[in-house]
Amino acid sequence: MALDKAIGAKRELMIRVALSGNPNVGKSVIFNKLTGSRQRVGNWPGKTVEKKEGVYRYGEKEVYVVDLPGTYSLTAYSVEERIARDYIIREKPDVVVDVVDATNLERNLYLLLQLIELGAKVVIALNKMDLAEASRLRVDANKLEEILGIPVVATVAPAGIGLEELREKIVEVARAERQKPRIRYSRDFEEAIAEVARIVEAAEALRDYNSRWLAIKLLEGDREVLELVGKAPEGGEVLRRVKEVRGRLEQKYGDVEMAFISERYRVVGEIVREVVRGEKALEASDALDRALLDRYLGLPVFISVLWIIFQFTFIASAPFSDMIADFFALLSERLVGITGVSRLDYMLFGDYGLLNGVGTVLSFVPLIMTLYFALSLFEDFGYMARAAFLMDRIMRRLGLTGRAIIPMILGFGCNIAGVYGTRTIPDERDRIIAIVTNPLMLCSARLVVFTLIAEAFWGPAAGSILLSLYLASVLLAILVALVLRRLILRGEVSPFVMELPPYQMPSLRVAATYTWLRASLFFKKAGTVILAGLLVLGALATTDAATLGFTENVSASLAAALGRVFKPLFEPLGWDWILVVSVLFGFVAKEVVIGTMAMLYGVPEELFSEFLRQRYDPVTMYAYMLFVLIYIPCLATVAAIKHETGSWKYALLTVAYGVVLAYLVSLLASVIGRALFPGA
Amino acid sequence: MIMPSAAVVYGAVLGTLYVMYGIIQVYNGVYSWWLGGGAKAQLGVEVKGAVIPNIFPDPFSGFALITTGLLFLSALYYSARDGRGYRGYLLAGWMLAVVMMILNVIEIASSMLTAYYPVLLGEEPETWSLAEDPWGVAPHMVLGLLALPLYVELKGMLRELFPRRYVPRSS
Repeated sequence: MALDKAIGAKRELMIRVALSGNPNVGKSVIFNKLTGSRQRVGNWPGKTVEKKEGVYRYGEKEVYVVDLPGTYSLTAYSVEERIARDYIIREKPDVVVDVVDATNLERNLYLLLQLIELGAKVVIALNKMDLAEASRLRVDANKLEEILGIPVVATVAPAGIGLEELREKIVEVARAERQKPRIRYSRDFEEAIAEVARIVEAAEALRDYNSRWLAIKLLEGDREVLELVGKAPEGGEVLRRVKEVRGRLEQKYGDVEMAFISERYRVVGEIVREVVRGEKALEASDALDRALLDRYLGLPVFISVLWIIFQFTFIASAPFSDMIADFFALLSERLVGITGVSRLDYMLFGDYGLLNGVGTVLSFVPLIMTLYFALSLFEDFGYMARAAFLMDRIMRRLGLTGRAIIPMILGFGCNIAGVYGTRTIPDERDRIIAIVTNPLMLCSARLVVFTLIAEAFWGPAAGSILLSLYLASVLLAILVALVLRRLILRGEVSPFVMELPPYQMPSLRVAATYTWLRASLFFKKAGTVILAGLLVLGALATTDAATLGFTENVSASLAAALGRVFKPLFEPLGWDWILVVSVLFGFVAKEVVIGTMAMLYGVPEELFSEFLRQRYDPVTMYAYMLFVLIYIPCLATVAAIKHETGSWKYALLTVAYGVVLAYLVSLLASVIGRALFPGA
Repeated sequence: MIMPSAAVVYGAVLGTLYVMYGIIQVYNGVYSWWLGGGAKAQLGVEVKGAVIPNIFPDPFSGFALITTGLLFLSALYYSARDGRGYRGYLLAGWMLAVVMMILNVIEIASSMLTAYYPVLLGEEPETWSLAEDPWGVAPHMVLGLLALPLYVELKGMLRELFPRRYVPRSS
C-alpha cells in the first residue's frame, strides 16, 4: 500500500518511464531489476491485460516505470498494441525505454521506428548483448546511437550489466526539452508526411497530437486516427486534403500502408547493415532444439520435465508446510480462551474453528511458491515456449488450434488467467473452445487440495500421482475440445505461427520476484474469498440444524444437514457428507475444499493426513480428486467465461458439462479402481 | 558410418544404465502401486542398510530415467549416422541427468530438515536415516554423478547457450 501512495501522491513530481519492446526481449527482467520489490501488478483500465508499475529512486529523482505489453508494432490491431500506443499518446511519458534484442535487431527496430514516429523521447536498451556475442554477432551500440541520434545503452539484464547507465540516460533524456532522431524515410514519403503534417498543424483541435505521427497514420489510413480527425471541427477539410496526398502516393506505390511497412523495413535493413557484423550462428541452440523438439523424444522429455517440476514442488515445500501447520496448531493452543466468549472462542480457535481452516490453507503457501519458482526457472530458460510448440504439433493433428496451448499453460497457474489469455486466438470458434475447456486445467488452487490428499495416501509418490492428474486434465481438455469441434463449433482450424525465444540462463532473482508476486496474490485470496467462505461454513458448522442454536456437534449442524441432502447422489462414489459439503463450498474457491475438510473433521493440521488415511481408501480419494479436477470451475472463473464469451450460454455449458463429466469420470475411476484393487 | 567420439560412447553406456534402472523402477512402481506387492527389484550394493542406488517404486520417475537414457543413446545414433546434430541430444540428456541429480540432493536435504527441525522448537527430532529415506541415494544421483564428466565435451555448447560474462566495450 505504501507503493500505491508513493505512485499516487508523487506522480506529478516523478520522471515517468514506459518500458516498451517486442515479446521475449527481457523487458520484464529490466523492469524487475529497475524497480526491485517496489512494484505492483494490476490490469490496464477496462482491459484484462496485466499492467505492471513500479518506482525506483535515482539520486534525488523518483522514477515511475510502467511495463507496456510486449508488441511487434504499434498499429491498433491487437489489444496489446492499442494499450501501448494509447499510453504513449495520451499519458505522454517523459521517456520511453525501448528494449531491443541485440540478437534480432532487424525485427526489433521496426517497433523503434514507430516509437520515433510517435514523437516519444526514447532510450534504447540494447539487451542480450552477451547472447549476440555468443552467437558471433558484433552489434556496435555506438554506431547505432550515431545513426539514430538516440541514446543506446548495451545491457545484459539478468546480470544487471548496463542498468546503471540506463538509469542515468533516463534522467538525462527526461531533462532534455526534446529529442531529434536522425531517421528519415525516402523523399516521396518525407514530402508527403511534411505536407500532411502542415495540414494537421493548421487544425486547432489536433494540436495535442504529434503532427508527424498523425500525418503518417492518416496516410496509412489508420481507422482510429481517421475517426479522431473526422470528429475535429476542421476534420472534413483535413481528410479531403489528406486524400489528395495519399492518392499521389497510392499511384506510385499501391497500398500506402504496405508501402510504409516496406519503407520502415528498408530503413531498418540499412541500419542493421551498418551496425551488425558477423554471421548469426546459434548452433548450440539449434542442436538443443533438435533434441527437445524431437518427433519421438520431445513429448517424453516434456513429461519428464513436468515430473521434475512436481517432485521439486513437493520435496522442497514439505518441511516448510509442516512448519506452518505446526505454527497454527501452536497458535490455536495458545489462543483458546482468549476472547472469554466460549461460542466465539470455539468458532475461531476450536477444532472446528476458523483458524484451523485458514491455517490448513496457508500451510500450502510454500507449495504454491515452489511451484511458481520452478515454472519460472523453466520458462526463463526458454523451455515452456518449446513445450507449447510440441503440444501444438499434437493439437493440430487432432484438428485443434495450437494457439490454445499458451492459455492452457496459463490455466495451470489460474483458470481466470487462462480464460483471459484466449484473447490471442483470432478465430471465434477456436477461442470459445479454448475458453470452455480451460477450467479443466489443474490450477494452483486445486493443487492445494490434491497435494494434501496425495501426500496422505501416496507419500513419496505424491508427485507422480499429481502428474497423472495433470495428464488427465490435458487429455480431458483435448477430448472435450474434440467433441465441441465435431458437434457444436465446426469449422477449419486457424493457423498458428509462434516464435521460440533464445535459451538463457534462468535468473534466480527474476524467479524469486515472480514467486513473491504470485504468493502475495494467494495471500490476498486467502484473506478475502477463502476467509469469507470459511466464515460462512463456520457459522453453518456450529448452528444446530434442528434448533438453529449453537452446537459443538458438527454432525447435527446445518452444514451436515446440507451434506446429507446431496449425499444420496454421491453414494455410488463412496462419499460421506463431509466430502459432499467440501465440494459444494469449493465453488467459492477450490482451496476452500481443504479448509472445509479441516474444519468439519475438526482435526489439527499435523494429524490431518493420518485421519484421512483412516477414514477413506485410496481409490475413493483418487476418484474424489478427479471429481474436484473436473467439476464446476470456481465462481470467479465462471464470471470470467461469461465476460469473455459475452453471454451466460457458454458459462452455463461449462458448468453443466463439468458436473456431468466429473461424475462419470469419478464413477468410472471408482469402478475400475475397485475391480483392480478389491482390498483397497 | 562415422566413428563416434569417446564422450558419445561414454554417454551411450550411461544411457544404457539409465534405461536399465528406469525399467526396473517402472517395474517396481507398477508392482508396488497397482499390484499391491511389497517386494521390489534392486540393482545395487548395500551400505549400512541402505541400498545404493535405491530404486524406489515410482513409474513416472522410471519414465524420466528411461527418457534420459534414450537421449544419450540417440546421441550415439546420430553421431554414427551423420556425425551432426548429436550434440543436442547429448546436451539434453546431460541437462536432465544433472537436474535429476540435484533433485535427489534436495530430496535428502528436505527429508533431513523435516526430521530435525523440531529440534529448533526444543522438541525431539524424528528419526531419519539414508536407509529409511523414501529416495535415499537413488539412480538419479549415482548416474547423475557419472554424467558429470561429460561437461568437458559440452563446455563449448554451454558457453554458447549461457555466455558467462559480457564485458561492454568502451566507447
